[in-house]
Amino acid sequence: MSKYRWKLLVIVATVGLALYFLYPTYRDYELHSQLKELHGPDSLQFVENNETDLRENRAKRIKLGLDLQGGMRVVLEVNVLKLLEDLGKNKDESFSKIMAEVREEVKKTDESPVILMRRKFEAQQIRMSRYYGSLRDDNDEVSAMLEDESKKAIDRAIEIVGNRVDQYGVSEPSIQKLGGTRINVELPGVSKEAEVRQLLQGTALLEFKLLKDPDVAYRVMESIDKTLASSGAADTTDTTLTATAGFTDTTKIDTPEGEMDGEQFAKKHPFFTVALVSQQYPGEALVAEENREKIRRWLDRDDVVRSIPGDIQFLWSAKPRIMEGGKKYFVLYPVKSTAELTGGVIVNAKATLDPSFNQPIVTMEMNSEGSREWSRITGANVNKRIAIVMDNAIFSAPVVRNKITGGNSQIEGMDNLDEARLLEIVLKAGALPAPVEIIEQRSVGPSLGEDSIRNGITASVLAVALTIIFMAFYYHTGGLVADFGLVFCMLFLLGVLAAFQGTLTLPGIAGIILTLAVAVDANVLIYERIREEQATGKTLRAAIDAGYEKAFSAIFDSNLTTFISGVILYQFGSGPIQGFALTLMIGIVASMFSAIYITRAVFHILTDRYGSKVTFG
Amino acid sequence: MRFFKKTSIDFMGARKTWYMVSGTVILIGMVTLALRGVDFGIDFLGGTEIVVHFDQPVSISDVRTAMDRIGMGKAEIKTFGSDQDILIRTAEQAEGTVIGDRMLTALKDYFPTNPYTVLKEDKIGPKIGAELRRNALYAVLASVIAIGIYVGFRFKMVYGIGAVVALFHDVLVTLGMIAIFNGVLNLEINQNMIAAFLTLVGLSVNDTVVVFDRIRENQKIFRSMSVSDLMNKSINETLSRTIITSGTILIVLIVLLVVGGEVTRGFAFALTVGIVVGTYSSVFVASAVALDWTLKTKTSGKLIE
Repeated sequence: MSKYRWKLLVIVATVGLALYFLYPTYRDYELHSQLKELHGPDSLQFVENNETDLRENRAKRIKLGLDLQGGMRVVLEVNVLKLLEDLGKNKDESFSKIMAEVREEVKKTDESPVILMRRKFEAQQIRMSRYYGSLRDDNDEVSAMLEDESKKAIDRAIEIVGNRVDQYGVSEPSIQKLGGTRINVELPGVSKEAEVRQLLQGTALLEFKLLKDPDVAYRVMESIDKTLASSGAADTTDTTLTATAGFTDTTKIDTPEGEMDGEQFAKKHPFFTVALVSQQYPGEALVAEENREKIRRWLDRDDVVRSIPGDIQFLWSAKPRIMEGGKKYFVLYPVKSTAELTGGVIVNAKATLDPSFNQPIVTMEMNSEGSREWSRITGANVNKRIAIVMDNAIFSAPVVRNKITGGNSQIEGMDNLDEARLLEIVLKAGALPAPVEIIEQRSVGPSLGEDSIRNGITASVLAVALTIIFMAFYYHTGGLVADFGLVFCMLFLLGVLAAFQGTLTLPGIAGIILTLAVAVDANVLIYERIREEQATGKTLRAAIDAGYEKAFSAIFDSNLTTFISGVILYQFGSGPIQGFALTLMIGIVASMFSAIYITRAVFHILTDRYGSKVTFG
Repeated sequence: MRFFKKTSIDFMGARKTWYMVSGTVILIGMVTLALRGVDFGIDFLGGTEIVVHFDQPVSISDVRTAMDRIGMGKAEIKTFGSDQDILIRTAEQAEGTVIGDRMLTALKDYFPTNPYTVLKEDKIGPKIGAELRRNALYAVLASVIAIGIYVGFRFKMVYGIGAVVALFHDVLVTLGMIAIFNGVLNLEINQNMIAAFLTLVGLSVNDTVVVFDRIRENQKIFRSMSVSDLMNKSINETLSRTIITSGTILIVLIVLLVVGGEVTRGFAFALTVGIVVGTYSSVFVASAVALDWTLKTKTSGKLIE
């Protein structure tokens, strides 16, 4: 056996690796089937107890496409033309006329609306600076500026949509830029279509809200903590909580019981165990990313809601803060529920570097009505913090240094220019909405998804079973080895899919079934060849070797051509089709590896041990 | 066990007959296609499509009346699997998703006592539909050409041409079959169907390459044999493998066709036809065309000089 040590090692290692990557998928399935059995408080308790387990396995499992688990896919397009119309100033009749013409033309071509518009203006010998930019700008400058604005509009739209989806609480959403002016949004498991559409399309709401003073904020959090402790929110048998409590730096929290160990502390102060009061700004609390859902749940509880005064509202930071060791913390802010000012008053915002200190800053300009209000608000709240809130998420909470008159404000304290740019995007979202339109929407109800999975799995199992039986029947020992190769190939394929966190779609299942066919083909090619070689009078071992060698070029060429169509499919296809191409491509590699290397190694071992008992039917 | 003994069928001698057979099948398919057309899926048409599941069975004519009330009586309405599942599709376009909303409201109003759940709702804007159509066409053409180039490069250009002709043959026959069986099976050309076409292209060339590979090998052994005899010999030698492989794939596909459900039916149908045609074409079309091309241009048909 020792001469096959390496081959055996390769086989065992690959199988082990595949199982290792597939385990989370299995565990996730197991946990969720258990969860399905439970109802009401039991299921809530189950989620609390297995929080880490649930989260980690969910993240590492093979993801299901929207067609299998149900959900919504929406493609949004920024309406550049609408943006151009909104941007224009001193609009007159000839402007509206030209815009109407451009609107007709946009439908027919793929050219950018800016180019189309420029052509129209030039045909009528109107300078674009009449409507855009400053008077001295020539058409090149104006066009460049407008193209830049349309690019920024898509970033704004992505930020707004991303923020809202995050607030809505969809698990594993995907939001991607698609080409120049499109956004692809995938929301698994979402079924309330009308609600989501509203969410994606409406204009962003920008508000300025006052942060609560640190002592008030602390008192409110304390009463939440007490409410939770008295109802036994933290069970000491809860492994997750104790684990988190172990990491908690209890000295950060000013409590007389500083000497307690983690477990006791967690029991007595469930809220403060996961929400750490910030030392830098005592009026806010830091919550590790993985605990955000838990706090959200708590804040929704009736008894907790009753313990919070009516004029106070808890809002989250839109982005996490990265702390030491790369851990992500979201900030929880208690703010005054009524907004001081809404974002409609903002005329312009710009992120720049402060020339004197070389620090990133954002300048913000307001209209006259806004300026008056702003001067009153800032005057009354010097040294307090005002949060910049978009769609209920806080993007920044600067301290008011002095009363701001004249409407020009400057926001400092960003860590880098990217942060400043994000703030610019948010501030502009109030003033200049990025008009988006739904140009494609697909939604699959969860029941259709379930049917599809069931049908797909039945078909796969049946197909695999029939093939396995046929192969064993037709090629005897050879067939059994091929069957082993097939199972290995499936395992390898699924393992790779899990390792790369691929998505399984319905066409993807079809791709797996086809992989099966391709794998069978490779084996058939080899066995037919071995039979031919045996017919010429070769010994078993020589026939096997000759069969494998001679069949190789046919297997390689034919698989490569199938692989080529897979690559092309992946390039041109969208969504589910790409899933098909992906499984097909992985499958071809898996089946070649299994047919050429694995089964051959098995034959070598078998012929050594059992000699002529190995037959090919 | 063996299904096939050693065969020595004269495939090349009868190739003119097989050209006729192929030509006739393609002609019938194309005529049907021209007369009856095929149904394009929502992906390519653009418009709105909804599939709803009613608690109790409903009749198509009732659904049509409901649609008529909102001025969409021309919408395509059919059952989707069972008579409780109804698919409604219209090419009408409007801002956002108002069409779908209107259809759903109309159904709610017309069947107040028979509630439904939405299984599927798709809305494709006119631009996207055109784009997907274009991409699908490019994908099929690009893969046929890429495969032709690969085969031409690995073997010889005439064989590349033979392979490409065989691929076009397969695509056309399958398309014709879809047109013919559309009435019975509710088939439509959508993105999944395009995936099926590309797969059948890949699998069909798979068979062809196996035959060509054998021709290349035999040529090294039988140096003086004529091209036509070489082809016959090679096809006969690989026949057993071709049938076994295609047979196994066919079993798998028929399973998918029968138990795979409504969503994968079109896909499975196209592939089932494609496998049969692809196997046929790699035997009767690809090599035959390469042979005729060789004879006509008087080049050598040898894969190695």
